[in-house]
Amino acid sequence: MAKKLLKIFTIVSILVILSFNLKKVLAQKFSLSLSPPLTEIIIKPGRSVLVAFNIYNLGDPQILTPLVKSFEPIGNFGNIVLKKELEGPIRFSLDNSEIELEKSFFLKPNEKQQLLLRIRAPEGAPEGDYYYTLVVQSDPAPNNNSLTLGRAKASIGANILVTITNQGNLEIKPSITLFDTLRGLRINKGLKVYESSQPIAVVLILKNQGKNLIKPRGKITLIGNFGEKAEFEIIPQNILGRSQRQLLASPSANLNLKQPTTLTLSGFFVGYYRLTADLDFGAGTKKLFANTSFIALPLKLMVAFVFALILVFVLIKKYLKNQEE
Amino acid sequence: MKKIFFVFFGFFLIILFFLTKTAFLLADEMRSNQFKIQMSNVNIGAGKKTSNNNNTLAYTLGQTAAMEFTSKGYVIKAGFQYLHSIVPFSFTVSDTQIDFGELLPNTPKTETTNLIVSFGGAGNYQVTAIEEGPLRTLENTSQIDNTCCDPGCSNPDKCDQYSAALWTQDSTVGFGYKMSGEDIPTTFTTCGSNCYRRFANRLDNEEPVVVMSSEDVTLNPSSEPKDIYHQATMTFKVNVNSLQTAGNYQTIINFVATPSF
Repeated sequence: MAKKLLKIFTIVSILVILSFNLKKVLAQKFSLSLSPPLTEIIIKPGRSVLVAFNIYNLGDPQILTPLVKSFEPIGNFGNIVLKKELEGPIRFSLDNSEIELEKSFFLKPNEKQQLLLRIRAPEGAPEGDYYYTLVVQSDPAPNNNSLTLGRAKASIGANILVTITNQGNLEIKPSITLFDTLRGLRINKGLKVYESSQPIAVVLILKNQGKNLIKPRGKITLIGNFGEKAEFEIIPQNILGRSQRQLLASPSANLNLKQPTTLTLSGFFVGYYRLTADLDFGAGTKKLFANTSFIALPLKLMVAFVFALILVFVLIKKYLKNQEE
Repeated sequence: MKKIFFVFFGFFLIILFFLTKTAFLLADEMRSNQFKIQMSNVNIGAGKKTSNNNNTLAYTLGQTAAMEFTSKGYVIKAGFQYLHSIVPFSFTVSDTQIDFGELLPNTPKTETTNLIVSFGGAGNYQVTAIEEGPLRTLENTSQIDNTCCDPGCSNPDKCDQYSAALWTQDSTVGFGYKMSGEDIPTTFTTCGSNCYRRFANRLDNEEPVVVMSSEDVTLNPSSEPKDIYHQATMTFKVNVNSLQTAGNYQTIINFVATPSF
């Protein structure tokens, strides 16, 4: 009996000791990096190029699948919508010996995999722009027999912009859709009035009517009452063919408005100000110019001054009345 | 006496001259200790210059694109024109298993996961989400519908895949999510911290919906240089009533992070 009890006691003791050393179950983490995030290619029909993409697994072990999808731009802020099918004449394949497109491979934590993407423009492919995203997607998280479970499947993408041209000639047809300041009190002839201390949000939207992507360079200039100037460089971002995009100038900031802005002017402005936008699209192309203006008045100061004046007037009147009595 | 007067008057004039000669104040404030200048990367030369005060200038030189095109038949530009191309685009989902465990009627359960995007200084990106179908049993015999939030499914103010609405009542059933943190859709910031919306459903041929996106490049609203890590928390919520069939319910949530073009 005592032997049996000792046996049970020993087993229980071992189990208790082992349970102290149990490893904590960690959440399954997806963390992947991909570079380069954007690749622009200008290519003749009948040629092919090889681009190396690097995937780095910063999370848990992953089963990954590389695939290429077409995309189209949506909205004015550089967002994209991935299409379900691969469209256009461009052909993609991987030059890796063991990895193929749309076939899974395993990537250990802290390991890197290079994907050698062959991009081919077939002979006779029509001139124009074709936009794609290399997507590396994970398998869904494993089922852990939970009663209610949402399993996340995560993907990361890198955009590939392909221009097919025989001679290197591109169709560049830009136009300025909107160059204006946001909010403010609009008065005669569209001129807007702002409070002097109020940050002024500027919006510049450019439309690309051509079939090839454009990359505008230039500046927005703020010209004050006495000709003093402040210049803000426009950040060269791609505007895809037959789409439009709101440009960004540096320094830029978001004022937490519903609409993001191109530029935010902050400071203390008094008087009449002119804003000009000068855009350049490269040698041999026409430049674009737009301007707008606004008036800034120290309305808060003026109200405070009038209030103080009224107060002083009332006090003096009261004082004089008291003197008379 | 006259001499002393002239000396003092001279000093007064000099001081007055320096006081009135104030510097021209620019609207734009430059900060040096956190600046990083990032330039185009078109292959023929690149490098990094550092100074004693921890400033870094990463530079690359351009190639003659037209000549390259004529001779080789192609030109490749990798990376943003204003971004060091070796800065990778990375995306993290902190927990890919959203485990609610056992559900009790009229007892909502929540689980969270963090979405983190790192993108150098360029910042333009989007993360979309879509469910591959509602929470369903493995045998596909029963499902937990997507929530319409407190207003109810017949109310035009209900939440949908785009608009968030309040979900605080224990009697409100379904599956949905809310977002908090950086770069989240405005519907969550305007509606409040107890507002949820449902996932877009691929089985209904709906398009993935943006759950995180950033349009501004380098500065945050207070004009400070922006952190390169953009983090948001997604809180999943599920609730059932007593009529819900017992079983194991599962779904797949598909997140896609893409940089801008």
